[in-house]
Amino acid sequence: MNVVPLRMRPLGGEQVLCVHDTGRFFTTTPPFLHRFAADQLSVADQTFLAEEGHMVAPGDALGQAGYLYDLAERAAHAGPLDYLILVPTLRCNLSCSYCQVSRAGLRQPGFDWSDETLAAVLALLDSLPGERIKIEFQGGEPTLRPDLIRTVIERCARFEERQFVICTNLQQIDDDILALFDLPELYVSTSLDGDALTHQRHRTASKGATDQFLANLHFVIERYGPHKVSALPTIDPLDPPEIDTLIDSYAALGLDSIFLRPINYQGFARKRHSGSREQSETWRAYHERFVRTLIARNWADRSRVLEESYTSICLRRIFQPGVDRHVDLRNPNPLGHDYVVIDHDGLVYPTDEARMLSRSGVIDLAIGDVASGWADHRRDLLNAHASNYDDPACQRCAYQPYCGRDLVDDLARYGRIDMPRLETEFCRRHLHLFDFLFTLLYEDDPAVRYSLSRWLRLDGTPNALGVAHA
Amino acid sequence: MIELTLPALAEAPSPFVARLRTRRDADTHPDDAFLCDEDDAGVTFAGAHGLLAIDGMAATALDGDVVLVQPDGGRVERLLRAGSPHNTLLVTERCDQLCVMCSQPPKKTHVDRFALLEQACLLAQADSIIGISGGEPTLYKEQLLAMLERVLTARPDLAFHILTNAQHFDAADVVRLRNPLYAQVLWGIPLYARDPALHDRIVGKAGAFARLEQGFAHLVMSGARVELRTVLVQDNLAELPALARYVTTRLRFLHAWSIMQLEHVGFARNRWAQLYVDHSRDFAPVAAALDHAKLHGVPARLFNFPRCTVPEPYRYLAAASISDWKRRYVEACGGCREREDCTGFFEWHPDAATKGVHPL
Repeated sequence: MNVVPLRMRPLGGEQVLCVHDTGRFFTTTPPFLHRFAADQLSVADQTFLAEEGHMVAPGDALGQAGYLYDLAERAAHAGPLDYLILVPTLRCNLSCSYCQVSRAGLRQPGFDWSDETLAAVLALLDSLPGERIKIEFQGGEPTLRPDLIRTVIERCARFEERQFVICTNLQQIDDDILALFDLPELYVSTSLDGDALTHQRHRTASKGATDQFLANLHFVIERYGPHKVSALPTIDPLDPPEIDTLIDSYAALGLDSIFLRPINYQGFARKRHSGSREQSETWRAYHERFVRTLIARNWADRSRVLEESYTSICLRRIFQPGVDRHVDLRNPNPLGHDYVVIDHDGLVYPTDEARMLSRSGVIDLAIGDVASGWADHRRDLLNAHASNYDDPACQRCAYQPYCGRDLVDDLARYGRIDMPRLETEFCRRHLHLFDFLFTLLYEDDPAVRYSLSRWLRLDGTPNALGVAHA
Repeated sequence: MIELTLPALAEAPSPFVARLRTRRDADTHPDDAFLCDEDDAGVTFAGAHGLLAIDGMAATALDGDVVLVQPDGGRVERLLRAGSPHNTLLVTERCDQLCVMCSQPPKKTHVDRFALLEQACLLAQADSIIGISGGEPTLYKEQLLAMLERVLTARPDLAFHILTNAQHFDAADVVRLRNPLYAQVLWGIPLYARDPALHDRIVGKAGAFARLEQGFAHLVMSGARVELRTVLVQDNLAELPALARYVTTRLRFLHAWSIMQLEHVGFARNRWAQLYVDHSRDFAPVAAALDHAKLHGVPARLFNFPRCTVPEPYRYLAAASISDWKRRYVEACGGCREREDCTGFFEWHPDAATKGVHPL
């Protein structure tokens, strides 16, 4: 008998989505499902399944080899360590209402890298293979220590490919910081919650500080162009900004990608925004309206393409396994291998969220420290549970090939990793996102296909992005 | 046009390989032949095989070339031209397919030159990519693989691009091809249509499609790097979107998919009217295939497509694919801003087929 490893999910109406183990998919209607379940596939069914790669005939060596290849392609493989998130200081010059990292005061001693920690970070850099390096400087506010940033960057000169990102609130730019920004391989990442008032309410607190930030943001974009800067809005789902106003504030700056991010249930936000533990239907409806607004705006003004970054990443994952190296959504999700976080005190964490969680005192997720290493049982313990292949709910889920696994998110919200998957926020969020994407993929609307094609980085706009079988 | 074969006289009685040098420096090799005289008629080099006189080219233009000298034929073949990225070694002229558009029609006889070609590879410039073509190189699979393995062991900086119909790989090759040396080899394999009968007709061999699928299966299991090549002809243009669906369902392992325009040489010369399609008149099937491949993450590109004949969104996919020695530009190319990146035309491309060419 031929094996047809399909998983189904209703898409609304009579439409049913069928997804193969390898992530290829089609839509159909209940009569096909009845024939499928009764093992009474018609010749047309069998031809369709074979041609679309859902069924491998006995003796079809290429079909079998291709199936194995495509399965393997869906699995994430962690390469050597080449991505570091560094926290040279935990001190910060702002006190945002949903600060995720538990910050330290601007003049508090003992929250910067010690000389020993700096030396260990530099020794770690020296020990890496030397082909590629990506470093994200987080905080606190990392630009409070431009000297440390510069020392690290200079030590990376021997890498063939270098990329640096400074995650900064852009509250203050002096000559030292500007000299760093001038480096062509350095990018600036900041937060912009929308219009000035929204931004001020959650972040900058005073009009003076807000004006200063906006002036600095404009200055940086004018000096280097919008490609140098990425910005993310943090959204309070209970009080989200007006959609067009939010998009306008990004578009006006020449920023086309908006990473819509609900308040993370981390750090101070756990207390001040306790409602953020579960994202409500209200949030999901807001996200859908946001994406539909982008689609309408892209169609009305074909001269630029706006996108919601995470929606685009998930969309590309449906078709193009492995194309983005997005470490927050992959399966298996190897921890402490190809990227790590090094905190202000030299402790090493598998993710930034793990660092926040540990700082909040919820659970200690440090896997080691930069001087003595982190390849021990703590890392192995995490990685024993870092895949969605073995989860009973994921095994039955049509979206398993596209989805990932996020242990740390489960720990943050529920304090445990063995929640029934369907009862986790991670699962609900991605089920909704993929349901929404497949609805869009099968919508017969040129405006929708236009935006989806751009987000998929296609050169043209195909007449259909998915197949259907009657 | 750059001449690949030059008239020559040599003292040696039998064929030999030499690297031509105008002066001695630190990088010398026992197979080097050094310039000893140059006049209006030509140049004379001297090396381990005695004197070699070459007509019709200045010494500076030959410096660093690796040549195969044929004393009997009175000529040298410039096997590996210094500084050129387009050096291809012909290992045999025999072939078991007879493609309708073949640019290098096969011959029945085979002259075994593996030892000389291997010697030439060992003299190649650092980090170069050497093309291997035919005929069908894998008709002499054992000699070919043994040569690749020896050369790549001695010269890990080199890489090979091998054109093959993939009809001759079998299960026993899988383990051999998993040798990490083969990471330096890219196999260029033609596939013309998803319909087996149409593919078989185009390649002139019954059962070729089925045999090709077996070959692909062995190559997947070997972790081989494969470039798929599809030459456009009138019969397969409309079938291109179907082929794209086949590629993205069954051949996802491909390193690249090259969609190629026809070369007016070999069999295609006499069959031009039945074969050639003007893609600029009907680009839709090509665009659909390119979109579908990109949608599914298979990198496709256009070979031998002059840039001004390709609609703007797809133009960046048109690679400068025509080899330097047979590339030309037409009058309309004067003043074109994209000429540097453009493939231009084959030296033998008919003028009638350059209508509509315009500067960008």
